[in-house]
Amino acid sequence: MPSVLAYHRPETLDEASSLLSGPNSRAIGGGTVAVPESRGAKADGVELVDLQGLGLDGIEQSGNRLILGSMIRLGDLVSGGLMSHEPGGTTPGEMVPQLIRDLARRELPSTLRNQATLGGTVALGDSESILLAGLLVHGAQVHLHGQEPISLEQSLAECVGNRVVTAVSIELDDSATGGSATASTGRTPADIPIVAAIGRRVDDVVRMALTGLAPSPVLVDPSDPLRDLDPVGDFRGSPAYRRHLATTLCTRVLGELT
Amino acid sequence: MTLTINVTLNEVARSLEVEPFDSLMAVLRREGMTSVRYGSDTGETGASAVLIDGRLVNTDCMLAAQADGHEIITLEWFNKVDLHPIQAAFVATGAMQSGYTTPAMILGTWAMLGSNPNPTEEEIRDMLSGILDRETAYVKPVEAVKRAAALMRGESTEPFGPLILPMMTDGKNPTPHDPSDPGPQVSEAIPRLIPSRDVPEMAVVGKPEIKVDAVKLVKGNPAFTDDFIERNQLVAKVLRSPHAHANIVEIDDAAAVALPGVHAVIHHKNIPRIKYASGGQSWPNPHPHDQVSFDTKVRHVGDRVAAVAADTLEIAEEAIRLIEVTYEVLPAVFDEREAMVPGAPVIHDEDDTLEIADASRNLVHHIGAERGDVDAALADADHVFEHTFRVHQVQQVPIENHISVAWLDSDERMVVRTATQVPFHTRRMLAPLIGMEIKDVRVIKPRIGGGFGAKQEMLIEDIVAHLAIVTRRPVKLELTREEEFVSSRTRHPQTITYTSGVSNDGELVAQNMKMIGNTGPYGTHAYTVQTVSGLRGLTSYNCANKRFDCDVVYTNIPVPGAYRGYGAPQAEFALEAHMEDIARSLELDPIEFKRKNWVKVGDELNIAPHLGEHAVVEGDLDEYPRVMSNGIEECVSQGMRAIEWHLQDDPEWVRPADRPNIRRGMGFAFCMHGTAIPFLDMGGCSIKINDDGSFNMLIGATDLGTGADTVIGQIAAEVLGVPLDDIKVYSSDTDVTPFDTGAYASSTTYISGTAAKLAAEKVRERLKERAAMLLDVKEPCSIELRDKRAWAPDGSSVSLEEIALDSLHVQDHEQIMGTASYVSPECPPPFAAQFVELEVDVETGEVTVVKMVMAVDCGVAINPITASGQVEGGLLQALGYGHCEEFAFDDDGRMLNASLGPYKIYRADEMPVIETYLVQTMEDSGPFGAKAVAEIPKDGVAPAIRNAILGATGVAINDLPFTPERVWAALENDRSQEQI
Repeated sequence: MPSVLAYHRPETLDEASSLLSGPNSRAIGGGTVAVPESRGAKADGVELVDLQGLGLDGIEQSGNRLILGSMIRLGDLVSGGLMSHEPGGTTPGEMVPQLIRDLARRELPSTLRNQATLGGTVALGDSESILLAGLLVHGAQVHLHGQEPISLEQSLAECVGNRVVTAVSIELDDSATGGSATASTGRTPADIPIVAAIGRRVDDVVRMALTGLAPSPVLVDPSDPLRDLDPVGDFRGSPAYRRHLATTLCTRVLGELT
Repeated sequence: MTLTINVTLNEVARSLEVEPFDSLMAVLRREGMTSVRYGSDTGETGASAVLIDGRLVNTDCMLAAQADGHEIITLEWFNKVDLHPIQAAFVATGAMQSGYTTPAMILGTWAMLGSNPNPTEEEIRDMLSGILDRETAYVKPVEAVKRAAALMRGESTEPFGPLILPMMTDGKNPTPHDPSDPGPQVSEAIPRLIPSRDVPEMAVVGKPEIKVDAVKLVKGNPAFTDDFIERNQLVAKVLRSPHAHANIVEIDDAAAVALPGVHAVIHHKNIPRIKYASGGQSWPNPHPHDQVSFDTKVRHVGDRVAAVAADTLEIAEEAIRLIEVTYEVLPAVFDEREAMVPGAPVIHDEDDTLEIADASRNLVHHIGAERGDVDAALADADHVFEHTFRVHQVQQVPIENHISVAWLDSDERMVVRTATQVPFHTRRMLAPLIGMEIKDVRVIKPRIGGGFGAKQEMLIEDIVAHLAIVTRRPVKLELTREEEFVSSRTRHPQTITYTSGVSNDGELVAQNMKMIGNTGPYGTHAYTVQTVSGLRGLTSYNCANKRFDCDVVYTNIPVPGAYRGYGAPQAEFALEAHMEDIARSLELDPIEFKRKNWVKVGDELNIAPHLGEHAVVEGDLDEYPRVMSNGIEECVSQGMRAIEWHLQDDPEWVRPADRPNIRRGMGFAFCMHGTAIPFLDMGGCSIKINDDGSFNMLIGATDLGTGADTVIGQIAAEVLGVPLDDIKVYSSDTDVTPFDTGAYASSTTYISGTAAKLAAEKVRERLKERAAMLLDVKEPCSIELRDKRAWAPDGSSVSLEEIALDSLHVQDHEQIMGTASYVSPECPPPFAAQFVELEVDVETGEVTVVKMVMAVDCGVAINPITASGQVEGGLLQALGYGHCEEFAFDDDGRMLNASLGPYKIYRADEMPVIETYLVQTMEDSGPFGAKAVAEIPKDGVAPAIRNAILGATGVAINDLPFTPERVWAALENDRSQEQI
């Protein structure tokens, strides 16, 4: 049986949702993870639903929030080369907060970054995604087709499954923002961090997110970052070491933000 | 369900029929875009990257269907008559070695410069971050992009070549380090060349000539194994063991055989059981011959079980899944220290493997050698030091995985086109496995996308040959990235204990090296690699009493084998760490302590003849080999200046006030390697003249991207008085080219280069004879060849073209040609000083390597650009070895990180600064004074990192690699000890 049974490129959200309701359907944004996994998943063939035809690569400002289309490539987040999908509604990509740009750059190397999408990153919910941690401290909400937006926290906890992510909105930096800071530890400078702490100060309150401590990046209490966390170790870092890093790196981020 | 996609491919509208599962890479290659290359299925390597709508993206992790409606640009779009300025910049700077990922780099450069004509180095490195390269360390590619940007801005550029520096020493004695001397301030890509007054100026040798294969590599022309497709070619896939140790009780292949599109299924039931050792080494291959093509037992996760040939990869993969195997799972052992313990699982319990030292204890070999009386000297020594080190398993990671294609030609001879470093060994080793005679086997080596020792094996050629015989059709097998990790070859893990006796005045009086080498489930290269560890571990320093005591054991890890450096990086890590610790214990300056003891010109290499495949016993030797050239003092002086060695004495530098968690340190390692295996490594060369006075040169040497074809061509050109472009190099094809042992043991320039020099000298003599006849000169020996002409003492001359035409067409007809071969009785060591600067985060254990400086004495660098490229690439791999690369396993021996990323290799955007110094010496035994350079860069980085961490923190760590948790744990342990 072929690994990929069919390829679909729906043109409407309803069509996409319908296609994704099948038992062996899977959505692809850039496809950097879904395509190799699907081609390598030999037991049951899958039908891939490519979301590139839905016009989900726009950006627009709504009050103090920036709504980023789910098909925006991480490379475009970095470069600021974003265009609104709405005619005449161009919003400069430069509005993307610097923290998000920096984290998008660090998330993946250049070629993969040019393919991977924001929505795919959210759908995967990778424990070690520093971009997701950055989105968490930016109060990200996930827009799902046919539903009210939910918080990124909720989305990561529930897993979006086969629902179509249409956009991710984040708070823009403003006068209430007291800056952001990051700290991480990896094997090499560009390694995916074993643990990363991402902090952002808003209205004198620091929001802190950690990677590498839970099944997906999590918001934590900066004064007690390990509360309710029970990290799983791997060859790069034992549970004890990850806990140590969490405490150390949170302290550094707090130090920078206070 | 077949789909039709419409794309614009290189500005041509195309409709393409694709399957839903087709990757875009597969479709583009099917359409003849050979510049799009396979490195993995997950976008890890960037080798498959093309531009889609102007973005550089990977096509291996993208469906062809996703490209529907988009514009695709591949490197083929650039290929006009003249090189594009970007291609020209890559050529000029020597930015490619194998060139396997060069197309992606060029495309990325073009895309970036389109929107950013003046990129910063950070932006360039970021662009390159998605394209992995194990060969250049990204040094020259970054320079190439800068140069391309300048060219495209319309600026002029200087010729790219080495920076010539004066010597800082007299060549023999150290000079005091001068902190006020800033050293050269030029791009790291420019090699610093320190000429020796003993080396004469030459026309071609020593010059930064353009690589002879540069144009085809920057154009992405068909060059590699997979770029040539045979008619009716089938695809092979291998079923691999999920168990680390198990008996195969039953194989049922009925369902696989019945699957439409399957043409053959082979396994132990239908392939003859013929014993062999897969290491590509000279005849007779060292024992034990403990492998067969397909066995009744598997000995590591990833071991072969069966293979399939089918119409497509998808069918082959499905057939593999349909093979039912019943295993009897056996206990496994992974640690070399546990493998010899009574009760450990016996890995080779078969009765047809000969010459295992003690199969019941998993002992493959015991290797020993001694000079003097080590025990007595240790007993009498003023000080005795003992340290134990554990070195780990890493992989070569060529970006081109193993790939072979085999077919029966019209004469029904077996032809194998394969990515190999050892075509002649492969031919000899393959023939008996497939029941053919050597004369009926032909092995062709095209360009290779990196090897580093992994391809010094007859690894998969037997599988495709067996399948070609069964199916009577061409069969291709290409390993996936995961297979490359678990089923090709790796570096041997070892446990090494040094015990040294030192006198009160700092002289080494005794040195014992006790080693346990882990050869995994098969003994390929086991004897030789471990022997080289002993050789390298006991040769660098003078000492009258030395002993090597080594056990080599079987375990159930993926198979170790040859890896660039071949046992030396392991040994030199332990040795240089051990010597550092001795010096610090005795409160001596480490460099001074090492200097007092390291070998110098005239010193005997007093244990070398007693180790190796042709070892002699003490008393059977009239004279020991000696060091005849040694530029280490100049290397140390240049390196100390470049790294700013004095900074580590500044407490404010060590503990920067604004970063309280950071400690800075510098480390040094003395490196000594070998040049070829004496009396064993052999190379041949044949040169003939053409009508226009140019030459065809046939060599068996295998250029892996090292520049061997270029360097050997330069040697011949120098002898024949012609430019390099007049030497057309072809390598290597067992039907066509002379024999060569292959690319390993730092031998090619020295051995094959000397063969080329000898062959060229024979041609030169005939040219002189013919010129004398044409010029009416009585003494041919008075003729000189230069500038493509033969010159008489009176100033008259005749062109080589005229000589060629005369000899081929006019009078006394002859094909002027020369053939020669060479094997060396000597093994002149190159030397190097390796320096590292780094930072340690003492709260997290994170180590950041800031700068690496290597000053190397490789004799005369025949081509300073390719030589410095060898250094840079070697340093990248050595950095990974010391810092971040490691195999991780679960309890059952399954590799946890068999992909790039989890198995971490360095990217362009995280590299430390690398500076290369080429310190010339004149090695009289080498061609035009050359020694080796390919492997010595692997030796010193790990110990220099370790010693720098020690300098920065006071903590000595004796296990590799220096990953954050290991360093943190050591720091924590040290802190707790202090509290105690």
